[in-house]
Amino acid sequence: MLQASQVHFCIRQRPIVDEVSLELNPGEILAVLGPNGAGKSTFFKILSGEIKCKHGSVGYNGHDIHKLKACDLAAVRAVMPQHTQVNFPFTVQEVVELGLISTKVKQPAKLIQEVLEATNTSHLKNQVFNHLSGGEKQRVQLARVLVQIWETKPFPRYLLLDEPTSSLDIAQQHAVLKILQTLKSRNIGILVILHELNLAAQYADKIALLKNGMIAKAGTVEEVLEEKILAYVFDHPIHLIKNPVTGGVLISAAAQTHTSIPTFKQA
Amino acid sequence: MITALSHTKIQSQNLTLIGFGIVLVLVVLASLSLGAYSIPFPQTLSILFDQIGIQVGTFEVQQANVLLQIRLPRILMAMLVGGGLGIAGAALQGMFRNPLVEPGLIGVSSGAALFAVIFMVIIPAAGSLAWIKTLGLPLFAFIGGLICVTAVYQLSKSQGRTDAATLILAGVAINALAGSLIGLVLFFADDSALRSFTFWSLGDLGGATWAKIPVSVTLIGVPSILLLLNSRQLNALALGEQEAFHMGVNVQQVKIRLLICSALVVGVGVSMVGMIGFVGLVVPHLIRILFGADHRLVLPGSFLLGAILLNFADLIARVIVIPAEMPIGVITALIGAPFFIWLIFNLNKSKN
Repeated sequence: MLQASQVHFCIRQRPIVDEVSLELNPGEILAVLGPNGAGKSTFFKILSGEIKCKHGSVGYNGHDIHKLKACDLAAVRAVMPQHTQVNFPFTVQEVVELGLISTKVKQPAKLIQEVLEATNTSHLKNQVFNHLSGGEKQRVQLARVLVQIWETKPFPRYLLLDEPTSSLDIAQQHAVLKILQTLKSRNIGILVILHELNLAAQYADKIALLKNGMIAKAGTVEEVLEEKILAYVFDHPIHLIKNPVTGGVLISAAAQTHTSIPTFKQA
Repeated sequence: MITALSHTKIQSQNLTLIGFGIVLVLVVLASLSLGAYSIPFPQTLSILFDQIGIQVGTFEVQQANVLLQIRLPRILMAMLVGGGLGIAGAALQGMFRNPLVEPGLIGVSSGAALFAVIFMVIIPAAGSLAWIKTLGLPLFAFIGGLICVTAVYQLSKSQGRTDAATLILAGVAINALAGSLIGLVLFFADDSALRSFTFWSLGDLGGATWAKIPVSVTLIGVPSILLLLNSRQLNALALGEQEAFHMGVNVQQVKIRLLICSALVVGVGVSMVGMIGFVGLVVPHLIRILFGADHRLVLPGSFLLGAILLNFADLIARVIVIPAEMPIGVITALIGAPFFIWLIFNLNKSKN
């Protein structure tokens, strides 16, 4: 289990993440949603170990994050940040190979081939990463992150993704979330920051809504997806409609009548 | 199939390195044979074979003395310093994630030069103790280089990423400061120190003797090997420091190792032969353009190509104005600068 309890983070006395407690079990997808500046990315960085957690605690499978070395941490969790720049002319295959840098695996070539196929990037493998389109780059980065936890291991592992679908078209967005769903059976817990509510509703098992650094509501998809709560969190009227085709929930953001755009710090 | 592919990749990397090695041997042989006192090629070979106990052909004692006592240490020094500049340039470029970085640009060379000058001028008593002079000067230069490169790195870094503009500005500022301090120290120097400095500031391999080789081999060779051992970590750093941490790299530790090793390599090189520009910048660039960005090839390739280029430049410096010698910095800049302009020109063209 990935467990965050009462995580607190301030910048100049202003709380960015305010006493947040959250649990992520292996085999489930947890979507973290919230408006810009809600503290999603900061919370994400605390979970990944990038920012030191001074107040509260983060534990991976019962081990405190401070006691895990970088390579131990890399063995139990993989992270996909929002943007990754590569300054030198590395090929796609070289970038993906880097995901294996701190792990000893039996058949690296086979793992790399599998993640390249899963992310639909095997045809790019000999191209230079910097020459790819934004969507292709994002898929290659996903492959690089996936290869780190692709080999089956006897202990649960976790995948943290910060807006993995931001430069992808609709088909690719769904393709990515379908990949995440297949990871559930590999004893991997997935935490994903999303902006698209409908993607969360369709693929997540649990949702956590973040506003002003606090958890406004967390629970199963059915528990969290309520018009009132969503409207409060996003400061925008939201309607839930039954999808006539699948029977699931469709989230519609209707036009707002009054025009007060809240200005929060950019995440 | 991928197994086969990555296998051929390793093979082609090895082939590339072997190719560089062969070129290096050829350049070394040419350097041994050519110069103010020309030693015909067959004699060169027979002198070398004589050293390992194989008698082939004849040669004069004078030829052997020139070759073994004057040229060989000089060529070894050129190999070590050129290779060191190449590999340190490649490692620093990788660590700063910026292909513009060069030991001269970010202050390692000038910091090392400053401390070397301070050592030579302010501590003249050091000359009386031989071991202080052979070991103290390079170590002093190393400390100077390390201080400057650390300062530039701290100044240019924000949120785990180094900003290119601040990096250049910090480098310029540190270089200017070190330059003016060198001037200040020289103001108090006597004539002979001044004269040796003028030559030294453009690089001078003429002072290479067998006495300096053991120190150079240790203090340039060992850190170069340590740099080679970090090539995978440098690959990870190319994605960004946070990403490298996510993938399990102890970023802080790797950076400290890289900074110390490169400062040692460059600092010792500067203390031995003076400031030689452009090798650390151009060599890693060439390797990347020709063979890709994988540091497992870029680092050893840069060492070999740096050694080749500096030997070649030294050969030109020795034969172009016989019996005098051109300062080697003049040659490296004369070759390096136009090449670099051509490089920028081509990069711009391929972008448009």
